[in-house]
Amino acid sequence: MILKTRYFVCFALLVAIAIGSLSPATAAERSAASRAKERELIAVLRSDAPPKDKAIPCKQLAIYGTAEAVPALAPLLADKDLASWALIAMEAIPGPAADKALRDAMGELQGRLLIGVINSIAVRRDTQAVPGLIKKLEASDAQVASAAAIALGRIGGQPAAQALVESLDDAPAGVRSEVAEGCILCAEHFLAQGNSTKAIKLYDTIRQADVSTQRVLEAIRGAILARGSDGIPLLIEQLESKDRAKLGIGLRTARELPGTDVTQALAAELNRLPVNRQPLLLLALADRKDAVVLPTVLKAAKNGAKPLRITAIGLLIHLGSVSCVPAVLEAALEGDAGLTAAAQETLERLPGKDVDAALLSRLGPAKGKQRQLLIELVAERRIEAALPAIMESVTDKDAGIRGAALQAVTILGEADQAAMVVKLLQEARGSKARADVTRALLAVAGRAGTACLADLLPLMKSDDSNLRMVGLRAMAIVGGPDALAAVKTALKDKKEAVKDEAVRTLSTWPNNWPEDAEAAKILLTLTESGKKTSHKVLGLRGYLQYVRGSKKLRGKEKVTRIHELLPQIKRAEEKRLAIAVLGSVPSSEALELLMTLAKDRAVTEEVYSAIVNLTRRDSRGLSKDQRREALKTVVEKSKNNGTKNRALDTLRKLR
Amino acid sequence: MSKDGVHLNRRRFLKTAAQAGACFAAPYFVPSSALGRDGAVAPSERIVLGGIGIGNRGRYVLSCFLEESDVQFVGVCDVRADRRKSVKEMADAKYGNKDCATYIDMREILARDDIDAMLIATGPNWHATAATLAAHAGKDVYCEKPCSKNISQSLLLAETFRRTGRVFQAGTQRRSLPNFAYAVELARNGRLGPLETLHAHPGGLGTKMSGWEAPDPEPPRETVDWDMYLGPAAWRPYNRKLMNAFHFEKGGGLVGGGCLEWGSHCVDICQWANNTDDTAAVEYEPVGDQLHARYANGVKLVMRNDGWLPLGSCPVRFEGKTGWVETGDNAEFEASTPKLLARRGKKIPGYPADFHVRDFLDCVKTRALTRANAEVACWSHIVCHAANIALYLDRKVMFDPKKCEFIGDDEANRLRSEALRAPWRL
Repeated sequence: MILKTRYFVCFALLVAIAIGSLSPATAAERSAASRAKERELIAVLRSDAPPKDKAIPCKQLAIYGTAEAVPALAPLLADKDLASWALIAMEAIPGPAADKALRDAMGELQGRLLIGVINSIAVRRDTQAVPGLIKKLEASDAQVASAAAIALGRIGGQPAAQALVESLDDAPAGVRSEVAEGCILCAEHFLAQGNSTKAIKLYDTIRQADVSTQRVLEAIRGAILARGSDGIPLLIEQLESKDRAKLGIGLRTARELPGTDVTQALAAELNRLPVNRQPLLLLALADRKDAVVLPTVLKAAKNGAKPLRITAIGLLIHLGSVSCVPAVLEAALEGDAGLTAAAQETLERLPGKDVDAALLSRLGPAKGKQRQLLIELVAERRIEAALPAIMESVTDKDAGIRGAALQAVTILGEADQAAMVVKLLQEARGSKARADVTRALLAVAGRAGTACLADLLPLMKSDDSNLRMVGLRAMAIVGGPDALAAVKTALKDKKEAVKDEAVRTLSTWPNNWPEDAEAAKILLTLTESGKKTSHKVLGLRGYLQYVRGSKKLRGKEKVTRIHELLPQIKRAEEKRLAIAVLGSVPSSEALELLMTLAKDRAVTEEVYSAIVNLTRRDSRGLSKDQRREALKTVVEKSKNNGTKNRALDTLRKLR
Repeated sequence: MSKDGVHLNRRRFLKTAAQAGACFAAPYFVPSSALGRDGAVAPSERIVLGGIGIGNRGRYVLSCFLEESDVQFVGVCDVRADRRKSVKEMADAKYGNKDCATYIDMREILARDDIDAMLIATGPNWHATAATLAAHAGKDVYCEKPCSKNISQSLLLAETFRRTGRVFQAGTQRRSLPNFAYAVELARNGRLGPLETLHAHPGGLGTKMSGWEAPDPEPPRETVDWDMYLGPAAWRPYNRKLMNAFHFEKGGGLVGGGCLEWGSHCVDICQWANNTDDTAAVEYEPVGDQLHARYANGVKLVMRNDGWLPLGSCPVRFEGKTGWVETGDNAEFEASTPKLLARRGKKIPGYPADFHVRDFLDCVKTRALTRANAEVACWSHIVCHAANIALYLDRKVMFDPKKCEFIGDDEANRLRSEALRAPWRL
């Protein structure tokens, strides 16, 4: 019998899945399928199937159930294992049958089972349950009484509200907070129905009652919002309160209560508040998105205590316009670090092309600190039109202006500025100055690319070996055959340090990989006949990276290159690079070479991991048998549980 | 989880956002002095924090909180003894004392008057219920995502935080990261032309019901409080596998699936880009492996199960009439023209939560709305839930965001909510 039932349950579930995955059907077809589904599910609930097999059918009746399912579900409300499942359906099934069943259950159940039923009645907002719920307010089980109070609040209406208010004073401590919450919920219903008088009365009752602080705060908020503009005095009272919690709800409500008169009242309050509260109210004002706030913010940015000014200056980013630029510039130059930082940030972020134009027009005649600030601002705002003015300042006598200008070139400079920056580098004295100009030069090279190569080449012919090395770094950034030729020449430089730098540059030739095959040839030559071990190693690494990244070489060619190079790959670091190449080529040759490399204990696990990655992909390059055999080897020999598990997982999927 | 060791302060974020030109995407700057955190923070100015359900993800977020000088973490609640112990050790090591209290029942920690805010990082089964309990107890809440199990929970969560005036931050920290902010900036300021299509990658699209597994021997309550672990989920016997909260009741009990896991992030970013933080798409239709949704403003949202970007996890793509931009968790960009990326700002890969946590803490002090407040989270979650419902029913559904109802679709409407197991309620 049990077997039969299980078979039946499985069948029913299959039907359910099938219904769930039907292709687009008409509403009528869906309805017919739902009815059939409901009948199947009801049959499961009425069968002797174990609770486990009735759980999901209960859930599905939430979707497909009707009044017909209620008699099958109702007894389960008293079943400690299945009640929570049955409630999922009962709460969702529309119509009076489910309401009645829940009300009936409310009269019979106790404890958690009863609470569940009450909670579902609350969700369904069954007004006929109100008398029963009012009785439950007096239940000796505090959790039941609490649930009833919330349910009455959710349902709302005068009888519920009256019962809750009447029970407020006498409610036990463990229930009073929920009774208050119920009152607040009722007040919300009244307010939604346009009955603000009743709502205010309820809110006022709670905010003056002996209930938890949080309930009082909610009532204060509700009382202010329900009063509209008449709520301004109560709102101001909170902002001035010594109680931080009340200040908090005041600040929150100040953002919610609508009306220009409210904004104006709050703006007037700003200067009456203690200094430490002013920024908080200003932020709330800004959040009101009311145009009348701007004059208040601008005034606060110019005058007032420093925290208020800083806050106001910050707010201008969002609220301000080009008209605010003079005031904020003035604040930035007052000499106070906090004000300067805030003002600079605002001027960097204040949106608008008119703001760009306003800053640019001031830059030309500006001197001293103002010039330095304006250079920093136009750079941060990426105003390319400022470059001529900036370049005039890279040799300024004032170190601050000079530094700002060089930093601006680092951010904005293009090919047109390259020659000047090279000249600056040649003239720079001292390691810091040279480092700063080098940074600018490399940034310009990165943006300009080969367009600035002609300006850079003089560096490669400099008598100063340090400049030749900077030139090499720039060559790597610029890229292309001409730059590569210059680096190749540097391999024969008279200075060892320059030769070393040239090798390093080649080994990480970044920009034109993998197209620049010429670099690969040079690297291969270094690998075979480099004069220093370090040159051979760097050559080998660079070449392996070339092979790995090359889009021109086919997989088979990559494997051949690695195979040819294998005798020279002696260190684990380079073997790992080779493994990375082989691990990207799904072929039996690659697999074979990987197995060879696995013999080196230093890289065995890396090889096994690469094999798993290789064999996970479904590719023509490797037959299922080859993949299977390789994976078996990994399972057998790998000491890494993660690799082993991945291998096992891949093996399972292969079968 | 990766944070790449990035612990940047708020000013650095603002600087980054400035470079990104992300005006409306960046928060207001509030001076430290106004928030009582310049220099040494007086004990009276500290935000006293408690935690509920602090597992792997929770520990990372908690570490971000512990980095902040104006936070004092005082207690942890977890149904698992091993996690209570390890989080206590983490906090005690930070403060050099033994003061971190431990709780099994969240109602006990929530009853503490000295706690201002809670970090909730339980599994998704508990998120909305625990956050609601915390709000009712007068706590501000940083809650991991997905924040709700269904449409009804999303709405009630927003309603509760509105009514209580408590601060809520959903753990959708990409709202506070400059690369996403910059892409949103491009979409919202017209740099891409009129917006046409948004792409989100909520990998793992698909639905399944959370069921009743074969029973395992139930551990003592002190080791694992199974009843509390189940919480609002329908009863079933103890089963070891279900203790993995990551999978238990994932994204919704009735039709849970992976959509909420990633959608609460990437769909949320699309909502932000589309300037639809206060509404949801009106049409949802499964198309092959994808889910296509459409907003009332005509913008299409493509939720993709398949990856298409080499830009790390959680990628998004915004397509306008004249341009497009893509970004993801590696903080790189692709765009229709490099000019769009001229002010993209600093790259901060690895989706760190530092900025998001700081935003929450500042809002606790200012009482402003956080970047991922309950209202914002409500609507982005509703889009994911509605998509899930379309996937479950395997057909197109039409949604009315004003009424929060599916149009002429009783089955879909019934999937909007699910009864909670007593004594829990929202």
